[in-house]
Amino acid sequence: MTHASTSPSADSADQTPAESTGRYPLLYLLGSSVLWLVVSGVFALITSIQLHTPSFLAECPVLSYGRVRAMAETSFIYGWIGNVGLGLALWILARLSGEKLRGANWVFVGALFWNLAVTVALGGLALGDLTSISMYQLPSYVQPLLFCSYGGIAVAGLLSWTGRRREMMFASQWYAIAALFLFPWLLSIAYVMLECSPVRGVLQAVVGGWYAQGLWTLWIAPLALTSGYYVVPRMSGKVIPAYDSAALGFWTLLVVGGWTGARHLIGGPIPAWISSVAIVMTVTLVFHYIVVFLNLRMALKGGSLSLGFVAIGLICYVSGGFVDALTSMRAYAAITQFTVYEDAQKLLALYGGASMMFFGALYFALPRLKGAAWSSGALIKGQLILSAVGILVTVLSLAAAGLVQGNALADAKVNFSDIAVQMRPYLLVASAGQFIILTSSLLLAVNFLKTVITCCCKSDSSKEGALAS
Amino acid sequence: MKNGSLFFLGLFAALGLAWVGIVVSSNAQIGSLAGYYDDTDSTSYPARPSGLAAQGALVYKDLGCASCHTQQVRRPGFGSDQDRGWGERQSVARDYIYQTSVQLGESRIGQDLTNLAGRKPSAPDQDDLLHMLYQGQGAMPSYQFLFETHKIQGEASSEALKLTGKQKPQSGFEIIPTTRAKELVAYLLSLNTTYDYPEAHPVAGAKGEGEK
Repeated sequence: MTHASTSPSADSADQTPAESTGRYPLLYLLGSSVLWLVVSGVFALITSIQLHTPSFLAECPVLSYGRVRAMAETSFIYGWIGNVGLGLALWILARLSGEKLRGANWVFVGALFWNLAVTVALGGLALGDLTSISMYQLPSYVQPLLFCSYGGIAVAGLLSWTGRRREMMFASQWYAIAALFLFPWLLSIAYVMLECSPVRGVLQAVVGGWYAQGLWTLWIAPLALTSGYYVVPRMSGKVIPAYDSAALGFWTLLVVGGWTGARHLIGGPIPAWISSVAIVMTVTLVFHYIVVFLNLRMALKGGSLSLGFVAIGLICYVSGGFVDALTSMRAYAAITQFTVYEDAQKLLALYGGASMMFFGALYFALPRLKGAAWSSGALIKGQLILSAVGILVTVLSLAAAGLVQGNALADAKVNFSDIAVQMRPYLLVASAGQFIILTSSLLLAVNFLKTVITCCCKSDSSKEGALAS
Repeated sequence: MKNGSLFFLGLFAALGLAWVGIVVSSNAQIGSLAGYYDDTDSTSYPARPSGLAAQGALVYKDLGCASCHTQQVRRPGFGSDQDRGWGERQSVARDYIYQTSVQLGESRIGQDLTNLAGRKPSAPDQDDLLHMLYQGQGAMPSYQFLFETHKIQGEASSEALKLTGKQKPQSGFEIIPTTRAKELVAYLLSLNTTYDYPEAHPVAGAKGEGEK
């Protein structure tokens, strides 16, 4: 069933019509994504330091904790994941269609305005236009711009899909089309229900939670799996095992995922059935994670650096799903709710799960898009090691800090100054972890820049496979 | 999967179902919740915020206070919310109906503020809150950019902070809260959920019934 893309065709020097028209718009998307990754890493490090040293940059209103946190999140999700996820999805859709990337000019214009919108959003957040809704920290005035520019980018993907040569669709295509198609709906619904005519009272939190979860299960995770399902069979040279269940895994994510948002609102002032439904659905979603693990487990055997990224991504993605299911249970949630444990979960999913899959696909894609090998194999290896260590250190220390915080919060006799003191050692380690993650992102940025700039004059694409795959 | 239009329909249904199931149905349930009119004191609860407090809500939002403070007292059985004196009852949807931008919050680096002004035995007053904003406390940074240092001309201002020790301004100067600081404090002092709605004690089970 998977044969469409699993033939271990000569990866090196493989140029398809997809690259001929798509090269520059896609390079632009990928390049901006790397830049945003570094920017968000800097912001994340600042917030991490402010958690254990509140006086850090406190005299500067632009860099107060709430605002930097919002900027870190927005630059990561809409800057890094938006650009890299869309760029890779378009490339993969075009390749699987066997045709040129159509509408490439639209992609370029869309990407230009998308990045402009993210920049304006960060400026707005710095000046205080926060929404206070997690994953939706977008000032109201940038949302129409984001929406329209997204249309420009996504239309090329849809054209690739409708114009595909083979009628049969491969798993990458399901996930890519789902992500491309569903994001505008999510954003516009949130825009109408939270900005244009806001719903009443706590329903804002319900809509916000629904949007945030939808963004993960209907956009970010599908974008990441687009890369995973494309890259793993291509690089391992093997057919995807248990591919028959892939469709079931896909529909489980799409149908069940959107219901799981309100588990963060347990015990709160919303009707209790909303969070009960969310808990049931979160546990159901475990099925999806098992299927993904079975399908992509070839990545764990390794074989190349890019595959190494995907393997770590897979482990984080699946374990993140299991942790989600476990902590959605009321007994656990009563402890972890409102603590930095939730930050650890977010990092595990967004950085460990999704981003590592993007890294793997990015290392696979760039030599083909650029027609030349990565400038430095050592930098790739460096990023792989540093990001793996960074994830491990940051996730574990934040989770430990969260458990300490949660248990202390549950005891009414422990006051907040004591909680801060108890958490401090773990938070210091978490800051070190954030620093390692930032360093790993810098390695990618340097490598990307060197590859794109120095390779302009060379057209030797024969050794690309050696380094990237 | 071959049929393109069927695939699209499936995607759309997946999103639509979750939207109808979670958002639309909860909106139908509590979307038109009205104030509760109490016959005994001829007043409707919750009270609408004053103009200054509404301004302060915007300051609260733009500084991202919600990234460390929640505004929800959970049901009995969830943590120590009531034991910490954050509220004498759980928060209910009706508490929030007049808030233009609800700040339930997702993290408790700092205290819950649902009922800050209604806490017993002693709720903080304006002076306490201004001092806390200026000095910071524990994990909370100081927000000195919400204050201005003025040279005292003539008589000292009645609004000046009474500071001691290191933070005392040099002689001849005084520290005055800006309008934003005053708005924020007015907002914090408007956070009050002391009124007991009939629905505020529904789900505590045997334990809750025993208490009340």
